[in-house]
Amino acid sequence: MKTLLNIALGVIAAIGGFVDIGDLVFNAQAGSKVGYPALWAVPVGVVGIMVFSEMSGRIVAVARKPNFVLVKERYGPRLSTFTLIASLVLTVLTLAAELGGLGFVLNYFFDVSVGFFVLVAVLAIAAAIYFLPFGGIERIFGYLGLALFVYFAASIKLHPDWGAVGNGFVPEAHGAAIYWYFVVGLIAAALMPYEIYFYSSGAVEEGWDEHDLKVNRANAFLGFGLGGLLAVSILIASTQVLKPAGISPGSVGTTALVAEVPFGELGLLLAFVGILFAVGGATIDTAFSAAYNLAQHQGWKWGKRFRLLDEPRFALSLAGFLLAGFAIAQTGVDPIELTEYAVIFSIPVLPLTYLPILLVGGDREVMGRHVNGPLSRVLGWAYFALICLLALAAPVLFLVTNGGS
Amino acid sequence: MRPEELARSIKSLESSAADGALMAREVARDRTKATFARAHARELGEDVDHEAEKLNDADANGEVAARKAAAVELAGAISQALGQIQTAPSSESEGRSAGDALTRLGDRASRLSAGL
Repeated sequence: MKTLLNIALGVIAAIGGFVDIGDLVFNAQAGSKVGYPALWAVPVGVVGIMVFSEMSGRIVAVARKPNFVLVKERYGPRLSTFTLIASLVLTVLTLAAELGGLGFVLNYFFDVSVGFFVLVAVLAIAAAIYFLPFGGIERIFGYLGLALFVYFAASIKLHPDWGAVGNGFVPEAHGAAIYWYFVVGLIAAALMPYEIYFYSSGAVEEGWDEHDLKVNRANAFLGFGLGGLLAVSILIASTQVLKPAGISPGSVGTTALVAEVPFGELGLLLAFVGILFAVGGATIDTAFSAAYNLAQHQGWKWGKRFRLLDEPRFALSLAGFLLAGFAIAQTGVDPIELTEYAVIFSIPVLPLTYLPILLVGGDREVMGRHVNGPLSRVLGWAYFALICLLALAAPVLFLVTNGGS
Repeated sequence: MRPEELARSIKSLESSAADGALMAREVARDRTKATFARAHARELGEDVDHEAEKLNDADANGEVAARKAAAVELAGAISQALGQIQTAPSSESEGRSAGDALTRLGDRASRLSAGL
Protein backbone atom coordinates (compact mmCIF):
# COMPACT_ATOMS: atom_id res chain seq x y z
CA MET A 1 0.00 0.00 0.00
CA LYS A 2 2.87 2.36 0.90
CA THR A 3 4.40 1.62 -2.50
CA LEU A 4 1.12 2.53 -4.22
CA LEU A 5 1.00 5.86 -2.38
CA ASN A 6 4.56 6.72 -3.48
CA ILE A 7 3.83 7.18 -7.15
CA ALA A 8 3.87 11.00 -7.17
CA LEU A 9 7.08 11.11 -9.25
CA GLY A 10 5.52 8.91 -11.95
CA VAL A 11 2.28 10.89 -11.84
CA ILE A 12 3.92 14.31 -12.23
CA ALA A 13 6.30 13.04 -14.93
CA ALA A 14 3.39 11.42 -16.79
CA ILE A 15 1.05 14.38 -16.43
CA GLY A 16 3.83 16.69 -17.59
CA GLY A 17 4.34 14.50 -20.62
CA PHE A 18 0.83 13.37 -21.58
CA VAL A 19 -1.44 16.26 -20.64
CA ASP A 20 0.71 19.36 -20.87
CA ILE A 21 -0.69 22.44 -22.61
CA GLY A 22 0.04 21.16 -26.12
CA ASP A 23 -1.21 17.63 -25.50
CA LEU A 24 -4.46 18.87 -23.96
CA VAL A 25 -5.26 20.50 -27.30
CA PHE A 26 -3.51 17.88 -29.48
CA ASN A 27 -5.54 15.03 -27.90
CA ALA A 28 -8.73 17.02 -28.41
CA GLN A 29 -7.72 17.70 -32.04
CA ALA A 30 -7.04 13.99 -32.56
CA GLY A 31 -10.55 13.27 -31.23
CA SER A 32 -12.16 15.91 -33.40
CA LYS A 33 -10.27 15.17 -36.63
CA VAL A 34 -9.64 11.41 -36.48
CA GLY A 35 -11.84 10.16 -33.62
CA TYR A 36 -11.65 6.72 -32.04
CA PRO A 37 -9.36 5.16 -34.71
CA ALA A 38 -6.48 7.19 -33.20
CA LEU A 39 -6.95 5.66 -29.73
CA TRP A 40 -4.48 2.79 -30.17
CA ALA A 41 -1.59 5.22 -30.45
CA VAL A 42 -1.94 6.22 -26.78
CA PRO A 43 -1.27 2.76 -25.24
CA VAL A 44 1.57 2.23 -27.72
CA GLY A 45 3.24 5.38 -26.38
CA VAL A 46 2.34 4.56 -22.77
CA VAL A 47 3.93 1.09 -22.87
CA GLY A 48 7.04 2.64 -24.46
CA ILE A 49 7.50 5.23 -21.71
CA MET A 50 6.74 2.57 -19.05
CA VAL A 51 9.52 0.35 -20.44
CA PHE A 52 12.10 3.16 -20.58
CA SER A 53 11.16 4.84 -17.30
CA GLU A 54 11.26 1.53 -15.44
CA MET A 55 14.69 0.90 -16.97
CA SER A 56 16.03 4.38 -16.14
CA GLY A 57 14.64 4.23 -12.57
CA ARG A 58 16.28 0.82 -12.14
CA ILE A 59 19.60 2.22 -13.40
CA VAL A 60 19.36 5.02 -10.81
CA ALA A 61 18.49 2.53 -8.05
CA VAL A 62 21.48 0.31 -8.93
CA ALA A 63 24.12 2.67 -10.35
CA ARG A 64 22.90 6.10 -9.04
CA LYS A 65 23.22 7.53 -12.54
CA PRO A 66 20.55 9.81 -14.04
CA ASN A 67 19.94 9.84 -17.76
CA PHE A 68 22.18 12.69 -18.86
CA VAL A 69 25.15 11.18 -17.05
CA LEU A 70 24.56 8.08 -19.20
CA VAL A 71 24.41 10.26 -22.32
CA LYS A 72 27.72 11.87 -21.38
CA GLU A 73 29.43 8.57 -20.57
CA ARG A 74 28.24 6.68 -23.65
CA TYR A 75 28.46 9.40 -26.31
CA GLY A 76 31.67 11.28 -25.61
CA PRO A 77 32.02 15.07 -25.65
CA ARG A 78 30.81 16.01 -29.17
CA LEU A 79 27.64 13.94 -29.42
CA SER A 80 26.71 14.55 -25.79
CA THR A 81 27.06 18.31 -26.31
CA PHE A 82 24.88 18.08 -29.43
CA THR A 83 22.28 16.07 -27.45
CA LEU A 84 22.45 18.65 -24.66
CA ILE A 85 21.91 21.62 -27.00
CA ALA A 86 19.04 19.92 -28.88
CA SER A 87 17.31 18.87 -25.67
CA LEU A 88 17.78 22.31 -24.07
CA VAL A 89 16.31 24.13 -27.07
CA LEU A 90 13.27 21.85 -27.19
CA THR A 91 12.79 21.82 -23.43
CA VAL A 92 12.98 25.63 -23.10
CA LEU A 93 10.50 26.03 -25.99
CA THR A 94 8.16 23.64 -24.21
CA LEU A 95 8.70 25.49 -20.92
CA ALA A 96 7.74 28.77 -22.65
CA ALA A 97 4.62 27.12 -24.05
CA GLU A 98 3.64 25.82 -20.60
CA LEU A 99 4.07 29.28 -19.05
CA GLY A 100 2.00 30.80 -21.86
CA GLY A 101 -0.63 28.10 -21.27
CA LEU A 102 -0.77 28.93 -17.55
CA GLY A 103 -1.35 32.57 -18.50
CA PHE A 104 -4.33 31.57 -20.68
CA VAL A 105 -5.87 29.30 -18.01
CA LEU A 106 -5.55 31.91 -15.24
CA ASN A 107 -7.03 34.50 -17.56
CA TYR A 108 -10.11 32.31 -18.07
CA PHE A 109 -10.71 32.66 -14.32
CA PHE A 110 -10.13 36.40 -13.95
CA ASP A 111 -10.08 37.96 -17.46
CA VAL A 112 -7.40 40.59 -16.89
CA SER A 113 -4.69 39.86 -19.50
CA VAL A 114 -2.78 36.78 -20.56
CA GLY A 115 0.58 38.59 -20.35
CA PHE A 116 -0.08 39.62 -16.74
CA PHE A 117 -0.95 36.06 -15.76
CA VAL A 118 2.16 34.68 -17.46
CA LEU A 119 4.09 36.89 -15.02
CA VAL A 120 1.96 35.63 -12.09
CA ALA A 121 2.56 32.05 -13.26
CA VAL A 122 6.35 32.38 -13.47
CA LEU A 123 6.48 33.95 -9.99
CA ALA A 124 4.25 31.21 -8.53
CA ILE A 125 6.33 28.45 -10.15
CA ALA A 126 9.58 30.05 -8.94
CA ALA A 127 8.14 30.30 -5.40
CA ALA A 128 7.03 26.64 -5.50
CA ILE A 129 10.49 25.56 -6.67
CA TYR A 130 12.24 27.63 -4.00
CA PHE A 131 10.02 27.00 -0.97
CA LEU A 132 8.61 23.49 -1.46
CA PRO A 133 10.62 20.30 -0.99
CA PHE A 134 10.92 18.05 -4.06
CA GLY A 135 8.37 15.57 -2.67
CA GLY A 136 5.93 18.41 -1.92
CA ILE A 137 6.18 19.72 -5.49
CA GLU A 138 5.52 16.22 -6.85
CA ARG A 139 2.51 15.63 -4.63
CA ILE A 140 0.84 19.05 -5.05
CA PHE A 141 1.18 19.29 -8.83
CA GLY A 142 0.87 15.56 -9.55
CA TYR A 143 -2.16 14.79 -7.40
CA LEU A 144 -4.10 18.06 -8.01
CA GLY A 145 -3.53 17.51 -11.73
CA LEU A 146 -5.66 14.41 -11.30
CA ALA A 147 -8.72 16.72 -11.26
CA LEU A 148 -8.42 16.05 -15.00
CA PHE A 149 -10.25 12.81 -14.21
CA VAL A 150 -13.32 14.93 -14.96
CA TYR A 151 -12.57 13.92 -18.59
CA PHE A 152 -12.75 10.25 -17.62
CA ALA A 153 -16.17 10.89 -16.05
CA ALA A 154 -17.15 12.97 -19.11
CA SER A 155 -16.14 10.20 -21.51
CA ILE A 156 -18.54 7.84 -19.67
CA LYS A 157 -21.38 10.35 -19.24
CA LEU A 158 -21.30 11.27 -22.93
CA HIS A 159 -22.30 7.67 -23.80
CA PRO A 160 -19.82 6.85 -26.54
CA ASP A 161 -20.31 3.85 -28.81
CA TRP A 162 -18.20 1.44 -26.73
CA GLY A 163 -17.87 -0.96 -29.68
CA ALA A 164 -16.26 1.82 -31.72
CA VAL A 165 -14.08 2.79 -28.74
CA GLY A 166 -12.91 -0.84 -28.44
CA ASN A 167 -12.17 -1.01 -32.18
CA GLY A 168 -10.15 2.19 -31.83
CA PHE A 169 -7.58 0.30 -29.76
CA VAL A 170 -6.89 -2.03 -32.72
CA PRO A 171 -4.42 -0.48 -35.19
CA GLU A 172 -5.75 -0.24 -38.71
CA ALA A 173 -4.22 0.32 -42.13
CA HIS A 174 -4.99 3.87 -43.21
CA GLY A 175 -4.03 5.90 -46.24
CA ALA A 176 -4.74 9.39 -44.87
CA ALA A 177 -1.65 11.37 -43.89
CA ILE A 178 -3.66 13.29 -41.26
CA TYR A 179 -4.42 10.01 -39.47
CA TRP A 180 -0.73 9.10 -39.32
CA TYR A 181 0.19 12.63 -38.26
CA PHE A 182 -1.98 12.29 -35.16
CA VAL A 183 -0.90 8.68 -34.49
CA VAL A 184 2.77 9.67 -34.60
CA GLY A 185 2.11 12.79 -32.49
CA LEU A 186 0.22 10.82 -29.82
CA ILE A 187 2.99 8.22 -29.55
CA ALA A 188 5.69 10.89 -29.47
CA ALA A 189 3.85 12.95 -26.82
CA ALA A 190 4.22 10.01 -24.43
CA LEU A 191 7.95 9.77 -25.12
CA MET A 192 8.99 13.43 -24.81
CA PRO A 193 12.68 13.51 -23.76
CA TYR A 194 12.20 15.83 -20.78
CA GLU A 195 9.92 13.26 -19.09
CA ILE A 196 12.64 10.66 -18.86
CA TYR A 197 15.30 13.20 -17.84
CA PHE A 198 13.00 14.50 -15.08
CA TYR A 199 12.03 10.98 -13.99
CA SER A 200 15.58 9.66 -13.67
CA SER A 201 16.88 12.81 -11.96
CA GLY A 202 13.82 12.81 -9.69
CA ALA A 203 14.69 9.26 -8.67
CA VAL A 204 18.15 10.53 -7.63
CA GLU A 205 16.47 13.41 -5.74
CA GLU A 206 14.38 10.84 -3.87
CA GLY A 207 17.50 8.82 -3.06
CA TRP A 208 16.34 5.56 -4.63
CA ASP A 209 18.45 2.46 -4.08
CA GLU A 210 17.91 -1.25 -4.67
CA HIS A 211 15.20 -1.29 -1.97
CA ASP A 212 13.12 1.06 -4.13
CA LEU A 213 12.83 -1.14 -7.20
CA LYS A 214 9.18 -1.86 -6.32
CA VAL A 215 8.48 1.86 -5.94
CA ASN A 216 10.14 2.40 -9.33
CA ARG A 217 7.90 -0.20 -10.98
CA ALA A 218 4.78 1.29 -9.32
CA ASN A 219 5.77 4.76 -10.55
CA ALA A 220 6.54 3.58 -14.06
CA PHE A 221 3.43 1.45 -14.50
CA LEU A 222 0.77 3.25 -12.40
CA GLY A 223 2.00 6.84 -12.80
CA PHE A 224 2.38 6.66 -16.57
CA GLY A 225 -0.73 4.42 -16.78
CA LEU A 226 -2.79 7.20 -15.13
CA GLY A 227 -1.36 9.76 -17.57
CA GLY A 228 -2.32 7.49 -20.48
CA LEU A 229 -5.84 7.03 -19.11
CA LEU A 230 -6.29 10.81 -18.99
CA ALA A 231 -5.08 11.17 -22.58
CA VAL A 232 -7.51 8.45 -23.73
CA SER A 233 -10.38 10.10 -21.80
CA ILE A 234 -9.79 13.50 -23.42
CA LEU A 235 -9.66 11.87 -26.85
CA ILE A 236 -12.93 9.96 -26.30
CA ALA A 237 -14.81 12.94 -24.81
CA SER A 238 -13.58 15.21 -27.62
CA THR A 239 -14.70 12.69 -30.23
CA GLN A 240 -18.19 12.83 -28.66
CA VAL A 241 -18.43 16.61 -28.28
CA LEU A 242 -16.24 18.24 -30.92
CA LYS A 243 -16.24 15.86 -33.91
CA PRO A 244 -20.01 15.96 -34.60
CA ALA A 245 -19.98 19.77 -34.30
CA GLY A 246 -17.04 20.11 -36.73
CA ILE A 247 -14.91 21.93 -34.14
CA SER A 248 -11.15 21.80 -34.53
CA PRO A 249 -9.82 23.06 -31.20
CA GLY A 250 -7.16 25.74 -31.35
CA SER A 251 -7.00 26.69 -27.69
CA VAL A 252 -7.20 25.04 -24.30
CA GLY A 253 -10.53 26.84 -23.76
CA THR A 254 -12.15 24.50 -26.28
CA THR A 255 -10.72 21.47 -24.45
CA ALA A 256 -12.24 22.86 -21.23
CA LEU A 257 -15.63 23.21 -22.98
CA VAL A 258 -15.57 19.43 -23.55
CA ALA A 259 -15.86 18.94 -19.75
CA GLU A 260 -18.48 21.69 -19.43
CA VAL A 261 -20.93 20.11 -21.89
CA PRO A 262 -21.74 17.08 -19.67
CA PHE A 263 -21.22 18.64 -16.22
CA GLY A 264 -21.84 22.39 -16.58
CA GLU A 265 -19.86 24.90 -14.53
CA LEU A 266 -18.59 22.25 -12.10
CA GLY A 267 -17.06 20.32 -15.02
CA LEU A 268 -15.49 23.51 -16.31
CA LEU A 269 -13.97 24.36 -12.93
CA LEU A 270 -12.62 20.84 -12.37
CA ALA A 271 -11.13 20.91 -15.87
CA PHE A 272 -9.43 24.22 -15.13
CA VAL A 273 -8.05 23.07 -11.76
CA GLY A 274 -6.72 19.91 -13.40
CA ILE A 275 -5.28 21.85 -16.35
CA LEU A 276 -3.72 24.45 -14.06
CA PHE A 277 -1.84 21.88 -11.97
CA ALA A 278 -1.04 19.56 -14.88
CA VAL A 279 0.43 22.43 -16.90
CA GLY A 280 2.10 23.77 -13.73
CA GLY A 281 3.60 20.29 -13.25
CA ALA A 282 4.80 20.28 -16.87
CA THR A 283 6.38 23.72 -16.31
CA ILE A 284 8.28 22.35 -13.34
CA ASP A 285 9.25 19.16 -15.23
CA THR A 286 10.69 21.19 -18.09
CA ALA A 287 12.47 23.79 -15.95
CA PHE A 288 14.11 21.11 -13.80
CA SER A 289 14.92 18.90 -16.80
CA ALA A 290 16.80 21.70 -18.52
CA ALA A 291 18.75 22.54 -15.34
CA TYR A 292 19.43 18.87 -14.53
CA ASN A 293 20.74 18.17 -18.04
CA LEU A 294 23.05 21.16 -18.07
CA ALA A 295 24.40 20.42 -14.57
CA GLN A 296 24.90 16.71 -15.28
CA HIS A 297 26.64 17.46 -18.58
CA GLN A 298 28.95 20.00 -16.91
CA GLY A 299 29.58 17.83 -13.86
CA TRP A 300 28.14 20.38 -11.42
CA LYS A 301 26.60 19.56 -8.07
CA TRP A 302 22.84 19.56 -8.67
CA GLY A 303 19.48 18.83 -7.09
CA LYS A 304 16.63 20.14 -5.03
CA ARG A 305 17.62 17.79 -2.22
CA PHE A 306 20.36 20.30 -1.35
CA ARG A 307 19.72 23.94 -0.49
CA LEU A 308 19.50 25.79 -3.82
CA LEU A 309 21.74 28.56 -2.48
CA ASP A 310 24.46 25.99 -1.80
CA GLU A 311 24.58 25.12 -5.52
CA PRO A 312 24.69 28.54 -7.20
CA ARG A 313 25.37 27.25 -10.73
CA PHE A 314 22.43 24.83 -10.66
CA ALA A 315 20.14 27.43 -9.00
CA LEU A 316 21.17 30.14 -11.48
CA SER A 317 20.63 27.88 -14.49
CA LEU A 318 17.18 26.90 -13.16
CA ALA A 319 16.31 30.60 -12.75
CA GLY A 320 17.82 31.39 -16.17
CA PHE A 321 15.72 28.75 -17.95
CA LEU A 322 12.56 30.02 -16.22
CA LEU A 323 13.41 33.57 -17.33
CA ALA A 324 14.15 32.44 -20.90
CA GLY A 325 10.79 30.63 -21.00
CA PHE A 326 9.07 33.71 -19.60
CA ALA A 327 10.71 35.98 -22.20
CA ILE A 328 9.60 33.71 -25.06
CA ALA A 329 6.06 33.44 -23.65
CA GLN A 330 5.85 37.23 -23.34
CA THR A 331 6.40 37.65 -27.09
CA GLY A 332 2.78 36.49 -27.47
CA VAL A 333 3.67 33.35 -29.44
CA ASP A 334 0.80 30.84 -29.48
CA PRO A 335 1.69 28.27 -26.78
CA ILE A 336 -0.25 25.51 -28.50
CA GLU A 337 1.62 25.89 -31.78
CA LEU A 338 4.91 26.21 -29.92
CA THR A 339 4.51 22.98 -28.01
CA GLU A 340 3.17 21.09 -31.02
CA TYR A 341 6.25 22.11 -32.99
CA ALA A 342 8.34 21.04 -29.99
CA VAL A 343 6.67 17.59 -29.92
CA ILE A 344 7.14 16.97 -33.64
CA PHE A 345 10.71 18.29 -33.77
CA SER A 346 11.73 16.51 -30.57
CA ILE A 347 11.11 13.18 -32.31
CA PRO A 348 14.43 13.21 -34.19
CA VAL A 349 16.18 13.69 -30.80
CA LEU A 350 14.39 10.73 -29.21
CA PRO A 351 16.86 8.02 -30.34
CA LEU A 352 19.73 9.96 -28.76
CA THR A 353 17.79 10.19 -25.49
CA TYR A 354 16.79 6.55 -25.20
CA LEU A 355 19.79 4.63 -26.58
CA PRO A 356 22.03 5.11 -23.50
CA ILE A 357 19.27 3.76 -21.22
CA LEU A 358 19.05 0.61 -23.32
CA LEU A 359 22.81 0.15 -23.42
CA VAL A 360 23.34 0.63 -19.68
CA GLY A 361 20.19 -1.29 -18.69
CA GLY A 362 21.55 -4.25 -20.65
CA ASP A 363 25.10 -3.96 -19.30
CA ARG A 364 25.61 -6.76 -16.73
CA GLU A 365 28.83 -5.17 -15.44
CA VAL A 366 26.89 -2.08 -14.34
CA MET A 367 23.53 -3.60 -13.48
CA GLY A 368 24.59 -6.96 -11.99
CA ARG A 369 21.57 -9.15 -11.24
CA HIS A 370 19.24 -6.23 -12.11
CA VAL A 371 20.27 -6.26 -15.78
CA ASN A 372 17.41 -6.12 -18.33
CA GLY A 373 15.49 -9.39 -18.49
CA PRO A 374 14.30 -10.92 -21.77
CA LEU A 375 11.02 -8.92 -21.79
CA SER A 376 12.70 -5.56 -21.08
CA ARG A 377 15.35 -6.33 -23.70
CA VAL A 378 12.89 -7.27 -26.44
CA LEU A 379 10.46 -4.43 -25.68
CA GLY A 380 13.31 -1.93 -25.27
CA TRP A 381 14.87 -2.67 -28.65
CA ALA A 382 11.47 -2.93 -30.37
CA TYR A 383 10.56 0.52 -29.06
CA PHE A 384 13.95 1.87 -30.02
CA ALA A 385 13.29 0.70 -33.60
CA LEU A 386 9.85 2.34 -33.47
CA ILE A 387 11.39 5.59 -32.19
CA CYS A 388 13.87 5.60 -35.10
CA LEU A 389 10.97 5.06 -37.51
CA LEU A 390 9.04 7.94 -35.92
CA ALA A 391 12.13 10.14 -36.16
CA LEU A 392 12.08 9.67 -39.94
CA ALA A 393 8.30 9.93 -40.40
CA ALA A 394 7.45 12.91 -38.16
CA PRO A 395 8.97 15.80 -40.14
CA VAL A 396 7.59 14.41 -43.42
CA LEU A 397 4.05 14.06 -42.00
CA PHE A 398 4.28 17.54 -40.50
CA LEU A 399 5.01 19.02 -43.93
CA VAL A 400 2.50 16.88 -45.85
CA THR A 401 -0.41 17.67 -43.49
CA ASN A 402 0.54 21.32 -43.00
CA GLY A 403 0.92 20.71 -39.26
CA GLY A 404 -2.25 18.59 -38.99
CA SER A 405 -4.56 21.30 -40.26
CA MET B 1 -5.10 31.66 -53.57
CA ARG B 2 -5.76 28.04 -54.49
CA PRO B 3 -9.21 26.48 -53.91
CA GLU B 4 -7.85 24.08 -51.23
CA GLU B 5 -6.31 27.02 -49.33
CA LEU B 6 -9.64 28.83 -49.41
CA ALA B 7 -11.41 25.65 -48.28
CA ARG B 8 -9.00 25.33 -45.34
CA SER B 9 -9.59 28.94 -44.39
CA ILE B 10 -13.40 28.58 -44.55
CA LYS B 11 -13.17 25.35 -42.51
CA SER B 12 -11.36 27.33 -39.85
CA LEU B 13 -14.18 29.91 -39.83
CA GLU B 14 -16.73 27.10 -39.62
CA SER B 15 -14.88 25.59 -36.66
CA SER B 16 -14.75 28.93 -34.82
CA ALA B 17 -18.47 29.48 -35.42
CA ALA B 18 -19.28 25.97 -34.11
CA ASP B 19 -17.00 26.47 -31.09
CA GLY B 20 -18.73 29.79 -30.35
CA ALA B 21 -22.17 28.23 -30.81
CA LEU B 22 -21.32 25.44 -28.35
CA MET B 23 -20.21 27.98 -25.75
CA ALA B 24 -23.19 30.27 -26.45
CA ARG B 25 -25.55 27.38 -25.68
CA GLU B 26 -23.85 26.97 -22.29
CA VAL B 27 -24.25 30.74 -21.70
CA ALA B 28 -27.93 30.46 -22.64
CA ARG B 29 -28.40 27.68 -20.07
CA ASP B 30 -26.46 29.60 -17.40
CA ARG B 31 -23.99 26.70 -17.11
CA THR B 32 -20.71 28.55 -17.58
CA LYS B 33 -18.40 31.08 -15.97
CA ALA B 34 -18.73 34.62 -17.34
CA THR B 35 -14.98 35.37 -17.33
CA PHE B 36 -14.34 32.19 -19.33
CA ALA B 37 -17.12 32.92 -21.82
CA ARG B 38 -15.80 36.45 -22.37
CA ALA B 39 -12.12 35.44 -22.70
CA HIS B 40 -12.83 32.43 -24.95
CA ALA B 41 -15.20 34.46 -27.17
CA ARG B 42 -12.44 37.07 -27.50
CA GLU B 43 -9.90 34.41 -28.49
CA LEU B 44 -12.25 32.96 -31.11
CA GLY B 45 -13.05 36.44 -32.39
CA GLU B 46 -9.36 37.25 -32.77
CA ASP B 47 -8.81 33.99 -34.70
CA VAL B 48 -11.71 34.86 -37.03
CA ASP B 49 -10.44 38.42 -37.56
CA HIS B 50 -6.97 37.09 -38.32
CA GLU B 51 -8.42 34.64 -40.84
CA ALA B 52 -10.40 37.50 -42.44
CA GLU B 53 -7.21 39.55 -42.78
CA LYS B 54 -5.41 36.65 -44.44
CA LEU B 55 -8.33 36.14 -46.83
CA ASN B 56 -8.48 39.82 -47.60
CA ASP B 57 -4.76 39.96 -48.43
CA ALA B 58 -4.78 36.88 -50.67
CA ASP B 59 -5.02 37.19 -54.46
CA ALA B 60 -7.66 35.07 -56.17
CA ASN B 61 -9.34 34.75 -59.54
CA GLY B 62 -12.74 33.73 -60.90
CA GLU B 63 -14.95 31.50 -58.75
CA VAL B 64 -12.36 31.43 -55.96
CA ALA B 65 -12.36 35.26 -55.81
CA ALA B 66 -16.15 35.36 -55.46
CA ARG B 67 -16.15 32.79 -52.70
CA LYS B 68 -13.23 34.50 -51.01
CA ALA B 69 -15.22 37.77 -50.85
CA ALA B 70 -18.18 35.86 -49.39
CA ALA B 71 -15.85 34.28 -46.82
CA VAL B 72 -14.54 37.70 -45.72
CA GLU B 73 -18.13 38.89 -45.23
CA LEU B 74 -18.96 35.68 -43.35
CA ALA B 75 -15.96 36.19 -41.06
CA GLY B 76 -17.25 39.67 -40.19
CA ALA B 77 -20.65 38.23 -39.25
CA ILE B 78 -19.10 35.47 -37.10
CA SER B 79 -16.88 38.00 -35.35
CA GLN B 80 -19.93 40.16 -34.61
CA ALA B 81 -21.88 37.23 -33.14
CA LEU B 82 -18.90 36.29 -30.97
CA GLY B 83 -18.75 39.92 -29.85
CA GLN B 84 -22.29 39.52 -28.48
CA ILE B 85 -21.02 36.84 -26.04
CA GLN B 86 -18.00 38.96 -25.19
CA THR B 87 -20.18 41.95 -24.37
CA ALA B 88 -22.79 40.08 -22.31
CA PRO B 89 -21.29 36.77 -21.12
CA SER B 90 -23.90 36.39 -18.35
CA SER B 91 -26.99 37.12 -20.42
CA GLU B 92 -29.00 34.02 -21.24
CA SER B 93 -30.99 35.78 -23.97
CA GLU B 94 -27.84 37.14 -25.65
CA GLY B 95 -26.32 33.67 -25.41
CA ARG B 96 -29.36 32.16 -27.12
CA SER B 97 -29.34 34.78 -29.86
CA ALA B 98 -25.57 34.46 -30.45
CA GLY B 99 -25.85 30.65 -30.45
CA ASP B 100 -28.57 30.69 -33.12
CA ALA B 101 -26.64 33.19 -35.23
CA LEU B 102 -23.38 31.22 -34.98
CA THR B 103 -25.12 27.96 -35.89
CA ARG B 104 -26.59 29.60 -39.00
CA LEU B 105 -23.22 31.13 -39.92
CA GLY B 106 -21.46 27.79 -39.44
CA ASP B 107 -23.95 26.19 -41.85
CA ARG B 108 -23.29 29.00 -44.32
CA ALA B 109 -19.55 28.35 -44.07
CA SER B 110 -20.12 24.67 -44.71
CA ARG B 111 -22.12 25.44 -47.88
CA LEU B 112 -19.51 27.97 -49.02
CA SER B 113 -16.62 25.50 -48.80
CA ALA B 114 -18.58 22.67 -50.48
CA GLY B 115 -17.09 21.73 -53.82
CA LEU B 116 -13.85 23.67 -53.40
